[in-house]
Formats: sequence, C-alpha cells, structure tokens
Amino acid sequence: MSYAIETIGLTHYYSKGTIQQVAAINDVNLQIEKGELIGIIGHTGSGKSTLISHFNGLLKPDSGKVLVDGIDIWKDKETLRQSRFKVGLCFQYPEYQLFEETVYKDIAFGPKNMKLSDAEIKERVLRAAEFVGVKPEHLEKSPFDLSGGEKRRVAIAGVMSMEPEVLIFDEPAAGLDPRGRKALVELIKEYRKQTGSTVIIVSHSMEDIAGMADRIIVMNNSAVAMQGSVDEVYSRGDELRSMGLNVPEITEIFSKLRAKGLEVPLNVYTVEQGSAILRNLIERRSSR
Amino acid sequence: MIRDITIGQYYPGKSVLHNLDPRAKLIITFWLIVVIFLCKSFFSLGLIALTAVAAAALSKVPAKMILKSLKPIVIILIFTAVLNVLYTEGGKVYFSFWEIAVTEKGVNTAIFTMIRIVSLVIISSLLTYTTTPTMLTDALERILSPLKLFKIKVHTLAMMMTLALRFIPTLIEEIDRIMNAQKARGADLETGGIVQRAKALVPIFIPLMVSSFRRAYELAFAMTCRCYTGGEGRTRMKQMKLGARDFVAFLFCAAITAGVIVLNHFFEAVI
Amino acid sequence: MNEKIIEFKNVTFIYDAEDENAEVREKPALSDVSLAINKGEFVAVLGHNGSGKSTLAKLCNAIYEPTKGEVSVKGIVADTEEKADEIRRVVGMVFQNPDNQIVATIVEDDVAFGPENLGIEPKEIRKRVDDALKSVNMYEFRHREPHKLSGGQKQRVAIAGVIAMQTECIVLDEPTAMLDPMGREEVMQTVKRLNKEMGITVVIVTHFMDEAVQADRVVVMDDGRVVMDGKPREVFTQVEKLRLCGLDVPQSTELCHVLGIKEGVLDVDECVDEISRLLGGAV
Repeated sequence: MSYAIETIGLTHYYSKGTIQQVAAINDVNLQIEKGELIGIIGHTGSGKSTLISHFNGLLKPDSGKVLVDGIDIWKDKETLRQSRFKVGLCFQYPEYQLFEETVYKDIAFGPKNMKLSDAEIKERVLRAAEFVGVKPEHLEKSPFDLSGGEKRRVAIAGVMSMEPEVLIFDEPAAGLDPRGRKALVELIKEYRKQTGSTVIIVSHSMEDIAGMADRIIVMNNSAVAMQGSVDEVYSRGDELRSMGLNVPEITEIFSKLRAKGLEVPLNVYTVEQGSAILRNLIERRSSR
Repeated sequence: MIRDITIGQYYPGKSVLHNLDPRAKLIITFWLIVVIFLCKSFFSLGLIALTAVAAAALSKVPAKMILKSLKPIVIILIFTAVLNVLYTEGGKVYFSFWEIAVTEKGVNTAIFTMIRIVSLVIISSLLTYTTTPTMLTDALERILSPLKLFKIKVHTLAMMMTLALRFIPTLIEEIDRIMNAQKARGADLETGGIVQRAKALVPIFIPLMVSSFRRAYELAFAMTCRCYTGGEGRTRMKQMKLGARDFVAFLFCAAITAGVIVLNHFFEAVI
Repeated sequence: MNEKIIEFKNVTFIYDAEDENAEVREKPALSDVSLAINKGEFVAVLGHNGSGKSTLAKLCNAIYEPTKGEVSVKGIVADTEEKADEIRRVVGMVFQNPDNQIVATIVEDDVAFGPENLGIEPKEIRKRVDDALKSVNMYEFRHREPHKLSGGQKQRVAIAGVIAMQTECIVLDEPTAMLDPMGREEVMQTVKRLNKEMGITVVIVTHFMDEAVQADRVVVMDDGRVVMDGKPREVFTQVEKLRLCGLDVPQSTELCHVLGIKEGVLDVDECVDEISRLLGGAV
C-alpha cells in the first residue's frame, strides 16, 4: 500500500543561485500513512510552511521528490493539477482568501475548478457548509458581511468542499480565543472521524495538537528533528524547549515534579491525564 | 524568495555622499543625468563615467551592490548594443555578412550608449543607496514646497509616497499569500486566453483590495493615535542643512559640466 | 496613592452600522461600563472575541467617542479635537497587526514619527528615538527595514514609537494575537519591563491567560460588561465563572482546582510546590 504522502530527500533553497542561498528544508524524508492525523510543529522559520507547500505542489523541490498516493506529483502537468485536488491546503487566516459575492459561490470555487457537475458541486457545498456550521440562510449572504469566526468557517468549508484525500491546516486556530480554539479542534476531529481522510495540522502551539494527533513531526533548522507518537515526543520536553517550542504547562509541571524526585511519568500533555495520575498517587499515599 | 525584496535599497553608512544634504543630492543627480545626455565625445563621456566611479568609491557602498543594481539592465544593454552595431552605418567597415555591415561608427555608438546607460544607472542608484526613502521624500517635499503657492498639498503627496514605499513589500507578500491560497483551491492562473487569465485574477484582486482597505483603515487609526494631523507643526528628526560640503559638491558639478562642454567642443562627436 | 489616569463613567458604546472595525454589531459593544485605571498599574483586560475588550481599548485614547457616559484621561474629556490630541499625548496605542501601524521604511524613522508630529526639537527627537529603541532592545535594528523584521520585533518597534512620545500610559490591543510563542514572550517581557522600570501605566488587552497572569490586575469582560476585576489570584480562583465567559484558566490553576488542592494557583512553580507539599515527606 502506498503512503498518503511521502517525501524522499526533499530539499528547497531560498534565494537559489545567489550567495545568500540557504536551505529552507534540507533532505526531508517522511512517510504519512493514509488516515493518520499528523501534527507538524516547529517555530517560525523552522521550515514547516515550506514543507507543506510542497505537499500540493505550490513549491517545486530543488531536489528530491514528493509522492502523493505513490505518484510523483511533478511527473507531468496533469498529475500536478490533480495533486492540488488530492491534497487540500488551508492557510493561516484563510478568511482573507474569500472573494465571491455569496458564501455559496465561495465554497463552490474549489469544486468548480475541479470541473465537477453542477449537481455534484451543489451537493458538496451544502455538505461542507453544514459540516462547519454555516447556516443555510447565510449561503446567499456576502461573505464579507459575516463575523470573523464565521468567515473562517466559510473559508475552511471552501477547502473541505474539494473533499481532498489529505487536508492540511496551517495554524488553524491563529487569532481565535479559547472558545474558538476548542470549537475548531472539535471540528477537525469530527471531520477526520466522518471522512476518514488524512489530516495534517501545522502549529507552533503544542497544546492545540496534543489532544488530537496520532503522530507528531518536529521541524527544526530546516530538517525533521523528531518524529513519533505524542507520548514519545512529549517525553522529550527539554529538547523541545531548546528548539524554541513551548511545551504545555502540564507537561512542564510533570517534568518539574520528576525533578523533585516524584515517580511521575513525563509524557503528560492534558490536564485530564495529569489529574488522574496525581489523584491515583494521592490515594495511594493516604491509604498507606 | 519574494520576501527578500528591497525597496529603495538604502545602504547605511557615514560616507561623504551619505552626509550630503538629500536636497543637494537630488538636484545633483538630476543635474548629472542632464549632463550625461550633453556628452557627445568619448572624452566628455569618459569624464562623467570617471565621476560616477569616483562617486561610487566615495560612497563606500560595496562594488558588489553597485553591480547588483546593474543586473536588471543587462538585457537592455545587450539589446541596444546589438541594435546599434547592426543598424548604425558609417566609417570603416569591419566585416559584413548578407546585407548587414558592422561598421566603425556602429561599434562606437554601441560602446558609447552602453557607457552612457551604465553611468546613468550608477549615478541614480547611488542616490538611493546613500539616502533613505524617507529622506528622499522629505527632500522632494522641500524642493517642491514653493508649489504650495499654487495650492498643491506637497506634504500630503510626500506622505503618500512614503506610505506607498513602506507598503509595497507588504502588499507583494500579501499577493503571494493570496495567490497560493487560491492555487491551493485549484485556481488556474497560468493557462488560457487573455480573457480567461483576466478572469482568473478576480480571486486575487478582490481579497487584495479588501485587505488593502482594511490596512489603510487601521493605518489611519494608528497615525491618528500617534498625533498625526497633517504637515502643520511637524518637526523632523533628521534636519536638512545645506553646508559647505554641499556647495563643494555643486561646484564640482559645475566644473564637470564645464569640462564636458569643453571636451565636446575639442573632440570628435560620436553621436 | 491611587491617582487615576483613565476613567470610564457609565460608558455605553454602539458601533456605527458601516464601521468596518466593529467588534460587535446591532447591540452595544459596551454597556454601562465604569472602570478606573490607576497610574503605574499593569492591567490585563481579558475576554473572548466580541466581548467588548477591544472597544474598551479604543475608547481610551479618543479614537471613538462613547455613545453614552464619559471617558476621561487625567481629567480631560475629548470634547474637542484639541483635547483629543492632548489625550493622545498621554495615552499611546499599540495594535494587533504589526504591519498596519508602521509608517516609515526605516525603523528609526518610524519611531520618530510620533515625536515629529508633536513638534519636538530635532535633537530631542534623536535622543528620544535612541532611548526608546534601547528600552525595547531594538537599537541595533535602527537602520533596518521594518518589513524584514519578525512579528515580535515589529511590535517592539511599535512600542518604541509610543515610548518616544513619552506617553504616561500604553494601551495594547491584542498585541500578541498574531505572533508566535517567541514573539509573544518578547512583547510581554518588554511591556513588563516598561511598567516596572519606567513606571509606565500598561493596559493590555488579550485572550491569553498566561499573559493575564503576569499583570497586577485583571479585568474580565463579557457581553460588553466588566464581570470581574481584581488581582490575578482573585480572578483565577473563579474557574467556573471564567469558563462561562468563554475563557480558560492556566493549566496550573486548573490542575490544582480539579484536584481540590488550592484555588488561584498562578504558575508552574507554585503548582509544583503545592503538589509536592501534598505528597509530602517522601520527597
């Protein structure tokens, strides 16, 4: 079985051919399985945005390959075009890409570019709109009349309506308040549950990813610094901190408790986990 | 990377050229450009070329950067040189093939035009290398200030220029972002006829307009908060004072102009 | 000594229907808000998007006029353009989007913009600009082009632009919302230092709890009203009430709350101390 996305020796330079040439990403080898939920983390400039722009062919590798579903996306023009539809990319602050007269038309932009039939387009638009919670009566409104949060949902629906096999979100929660962040996390989880598609979330906040990802890829200095299950990655908190990433507070609490000599695990990343472990510990102490 | 864009290409430094009054620099640059076009012989042009090179050395801007400013005009240079070589006739014929003869006059004209263009670009880029965009617009504002008499809002125009310079890189980045977002939704920007391509720009143009208006609105807000009320009663951190060195520079220019006229007179004209 | 610097008296504010920047529409963004900010304080205004917190910030320096009620800065009410200008000399603003508040193509020219508008002597401006850039640790960047800086650096330039005007108070409207963790940290450190070392009154609007914890006083907004106002410890004791306002508490606070150890714990170290004390002797 082929991978949803695979990169082989993927390398991309900034200012190629000049003296200032620097690698934006250097020899990246990744395999992303179908149906996985992957979190990619790294600080600004670590190469994570450059990396995901290769997944749907927005950037061309200077060397190396990107395989989507086992096929090199740069094989020919048609393959490249198809890869845009197979791999959906939802950029940071996607609400700034809205342009159509109505919400409906905007969500239909992607499917239309895919040259689908009108009936199919309608079905997809309605499905995506309903999924992100855009009210039917809003479909004929101008997207510019909506509130900030609603705009973002419409923009996300505009990518979902293409029903890609892989959906990438770049900092989906940027600028949202805690309530908005939570709602968005739930939305992405639900999307994955319903469609079974591969989802990639890019973020510099570990807290957003902790509760949902199957696997985490950490980018640092233009290369993959770590990858593994959430547990494996979070148990290396000190390394993450040295890469300029902030680890969830709860993880930090547990590493400090351990430093004080308490027998606690290090791979704790949600308050629920942490409180369960501590409650257990407290009960054992008191029963002794 | 589109992000590396440099507008105004200021190169910080403390050279004589940096320290000249921006107004003087602006006037001298225009003056020298006019003189470049007065040159008729290799000797007068040589004097200007020498001035340009000397000025570049005085500015302490690395030669690499000066050469970089010449890069965009390489094609123009080659193009004009080839045209001149092929289509100017007169004097000794070096060689010919088919209908075309490469003549002495053709080669001379080609070399002459090339030196002329290169000197022009060096002189004008030295202005922007040694003067910040803010200083340039300030200088322009002051030079043009007599126009106030004709009810032209010189300060407003200069402020608009500063803001335009400030926001060009930001907007270029923005266009890049929007283009990527729409391409990711399958927008095809590269194929099709003119009408189709123009249509394909709508998804880029509208978000760009929307965000530009938002930026303008927020910027106006921010400027109000910083007590901006127009040109009245403003002072400037960087003062402009015409000093001795500026007069020396003017005198120098006058000398070069005189030199060019004299050399034009005594030597054979190329053009 | 509680000298008031900004005072809201029964302020209600409703946006114009056409206002692009409207935080909320069709209902008051602020209803009957009374609040006083004292000189030298470091206040965090918390609230979810649309709670009225940004509107509160924008009323502080006379960009907007209250629909009802009165906002005064050092006793001045902005009923004329001149008085509004006077207020803006006392209260400076830093906004969310760092790109949209920088006017010049060179860092130091931008910082000079405010003082130039005030008609300060050129030599004095030079000094203020240098001092301001040093105080936000951006002096080395004074000849750089703003668009080549990181988000956190741009915000620090914007802060320097306010400091150079020698305002007594800085109001920051979600200055960290568009920044990465490093940028957020840079801005918070800078703001804290300005407050502690230079005695500048700071009002920071945010929805990040970890930022609010660092303030001396936290004001929580919901639905256009002030619903909580107190020291961080007092406010963060009320976990459930904060949740109802669409907010969260820091994980340290939550952990101790869930375990029933202690309420109002504010940071990691305190939390670790409490837990290890509870688990006692063996440690």
